[in-house]
Amino acid sequence: MSTVPEAVTEPGFFSPGWAGAVRNALAAGPAEQARAGKLQKYWDFFDGVKAAYPASWALGCRDLPGGPGAPDRPDAPDRPDAPDGPGAPGGRGGPAYLFVQWGGGTVTDCRIVAQDGPPDATYTLAMDYAGWKALHEGYDAQRTVMYRTILLEDGDLLEFFKGIYFFVECLTLIGAVPAGYPEPAVR
Amino acid sequence: MTERKSPTAVLREGPRALTDEQVREIEESGLKGVLHVDIDDVIEYVHRDLKSLPDFTTLYRKYLKQRWDVYDLDFSQDRTDWAEKMTEEERQSFIAVASGFHHGERQVEIELPVFMIGAGEEEKLHIAAQIEDEARHTVFFDRFYREVVGLQGDDIMDILDASFPWVSETFVGPFGLLAYQADELRRDPCNERARVRYGTNYFLWIEGVLALSVMKVTLSYARWRGFLPAYYTGFTATCRDESRHVQGGMRYLQDAVRKEPSMINEIHDTLRTILSLSGVVSRRVYYEPLGWTDAEVRVLFFQQLRRKLNDVGIDLPPDLEELLQKVEPVLAGG
Repeated sequence: MSTVPEAVTEPGFFSPGWAGAVRNALAAGPAEQARAGKLQKYWDFFDGVKAAYPASWALGCRDLPGGPGAPDRPDAPDRPDAPDGPGAPGGRGGPAYLFVQWGGGTVTDCRIVAQDGPPDATYTLAMDYAGWKALHEGYDAQRTVMYRTILLEDGDLLEFFKGIYFFVECLTLIGAVPAGYPEPAVR
Repeated sequence: MTERKSPTAVLREGPRALTDEQVREIEESGLKGVLHVDIDDVIEYVHRDLKSLPDFTTLYRKYLKQRWDVYDLDFSQDRTDWAEKMTEEERQSFIAVASGFHHGERQVEIELPVFMIGAGEEEKLHIAAQIEDEARHTVFFDRFYREVVGLQGDDIMDILDASFPWVSETFVGPFGLLAYQADELRRDPCNERARVRYGTNYFLWIEGVLALSVMKVTLSYARWRGFLPAYYTGFTATCRDESRHVQGGMRYLQDAVRKEPSMINEIHDTLRTILSLSGVVSRRVYYEPLGWTDAEVRVLFFQQLRRKLNDVGIDLPPDLEELLQKVEPVLAGG
């Protein structure tokens, strides 16, 4: 029996494989190490919101390299279903969305949606590719919200903020999912 | 800074009556004179005009007389106090509380301009002055963290990044909401309902409740111990500036509700979101080294909120009263 591990290929950012990994990460929630850094009371609040969260998110990347809608991407409409997804290198970038539906304390749907506009969701948020990449590289989710790197583009603001600590922790989890982040094309 | 009374004495004394001489001292002191003004008097001064709120031109004229030069402060004694007189526990508690203000000042500076677009002409003068105040307060904290605490960086954002580890995870509640409310106004700057929701978070909650509470905690510590004279001077002058901001903000909310009584629903809905977030803390802040207990901070916090609501005439429905009982103060402000 070989002890050499097989090479693990990371799914492309905003690919179906990445969406699947995001779904698993969100369903599992923060690891014990992350939980240990904050008071139990905070996590009780997080768990309480998660258990009853009825909403869906459309989380957009406005300028995904090689993404659907990119003007120099002839096969754009089909790419979300391709193995590597739209996160392939090249292209000037177009919008794409990660759709996340919550229900019963877990994620009931998590997929990449590529269409002209955002999918129907309770809350639509979006940020530029650079913001997603910075989040993946460790920039904190709290300031990603506070500095308006990610913005609420549609949905009831006051209702959304009742779950903001839950959202910020989930954004941290999404950013930490391993993925191949393509280099944007030089303009 | 000669008085050495307990930091929490005012909680037991209750509201105080200011003499005309005390009011004159608060209103007319130059920066050096502010060192000798009692912070409890300045906080009382914030509330003094809430029942008969001044108009925006009066507030603008006060600004012209009260603005101060942040570069006139000399932090050399503060640096000595910080390094040689304060204990490690005092330093850690102080910075845990002050960092919320360091970031809060920056946030209220950059999120305010968009509110000015939909304001009346006299109110625009007041808001323009407030933006300049907030910029000055941002520089005040930048200088304090560089020259006293010893953080290093090439620019303001470097220092903000360096102090961010002390900022609580729950900071994003009121301040993230403010950022998104500002973006809502960017898209529709004359939407009066959105302006009232923004004003409730900014002027009533962040400035009227959070800011005045954190000011009181660190300033009464500095006065009690006789430490950090430049911090005391600059931050007490900041508190005097905040009195104009809170009065202007309460004037705006009061006028909005008088003009359209259903605006009270926007205030209640905003408080409903804020209070539902405010029942949770992510990390323990040790107030004891600064002369406070958790219970005393809660009392201070509720006093600040109740006085604003009562003075401006905002009643809370039962569900908000219930949420209020669960609140854990986030010590931040702007």
